[in-house]
Amino acid sequence: MTTTTEAFAYADGTWPVLERVPEAHRRSWTMLASAGEWWTGAERISIAAECRRASALVDGRPDPGRGPAVLPDAATFAVHKLIGDLPNVTRDWYDETISAEGMSDAHYIELLGVVVHVWSIDEFHRALSIDLEPLPDPIPGEPTRIRPAGIRANGSWPPTILPEDLHETEADIYGGSERTSNVRAAMSLHPDSVRWLSDLFDAHYLSWVEIQSVQEPFRVLTRPQRELVAARVSALNECFY
Amino acid sequence: MLLGRSSEGNDALNLNGTVSNEIDSGVEHGDVLLRYADAAVRRGPDLAETREALNAAMGPDAVVDCAATIANFQRMVRIADGCGIPLDSFSRRESEKWRDDLGIDSFRSRENTFGQS
Repeated sequence: MTTTTEAFAYADGTWPVLERVPEAHRRSWTMLASAGEWWTGAERISIAAECRRASALVDGRPDPGRGPAVLPDAATFAVHKLIGDLPNVTRDWYDETISAEGMSDAHYIELLGVVVHVWSIDEFHRALSIDLEPLPDPIPGEPTRIRPAGIRANGSWPPTILPEDLHETEADIYGGSERTSNVRAAMSLHPDSVRWLSDLFDAHYLSWVEIQSVQEPFRVLTRPQRELVAARVSALNECFY
Repeated sequence: MLLGRSSEGNDALNLNGTVSNEIDSGVEHGDVLLRYADAAVRRGPDLAETREALNAAMGPDAVVDCAATIANFQRMVRIADGCGIPLDSFSRRESEKWRDDLGIDSFRSRENTFGQS
């Protein structure tokens, strides 16, 4: 994977951001700009742009503008719902969204992957009052439209892949473990979103190995401190899970 | 929910402190961490002030780590609620004793988690 070395130059700023963070953010920008399984690079950047439009709308800031590609109406609405109206995301809404023109369960999960990763990086910037990184230019390419084998209904709204059902092409997504978290499995209809999730989770929070370890992670906040903050963010978002 | 489950047996953490600034969480510097998280998520006008308070109490590395933790969970909640992730029956049963105290049973997204499995 190539990276844009000049992007996310926190070394010039006020805050001591460890290098693993901008490295992961640059990989994210390359992932964002590349064609996925169900959306082109231009469409993925438009999803990211819509994410920023939704955030601006909620915050009362000027509209930062649309992205380079036209999205299905249901995709645009989904981005705004996930950013600005999360407590009212429901099963009925999900079913309606994936049944809309230009959408499917796989389109939705890839869209969700773009939204949550761009949102997370932008939230890091906003928390530190750092200007948002400009969105990248799209990388040419066509979606592969490959639906992973081994997916089936496992309790979440979208079908998922259990560790025992992984095939060779996505064998790495759970890090070789025989178990995985429900959050990682929830994105497995789009395996690259699981890889993206793990990469940014490691940079922003803890590695999956650190999560499962009883040892205090080698980070600045202690485990109780980070769990306190995590619980408060979840409560403010009215996230029951 | 899952964070609450993981904190069971951790006497240092008062779960009620995770939902109220009026209750001591029992975590060192918990007050400044929570006020910064509140300001960041709610887009409070006191963002710079609360960030500086955290900086004064714990230093700039902690500010960056806290910002990254906030950013991470702004993402995780959207995956959980965007996919209707179910809660396993053991966690559902074991969490009953503190869910109501924290008020999280009133969250609308409870239906997404309990409507499955």
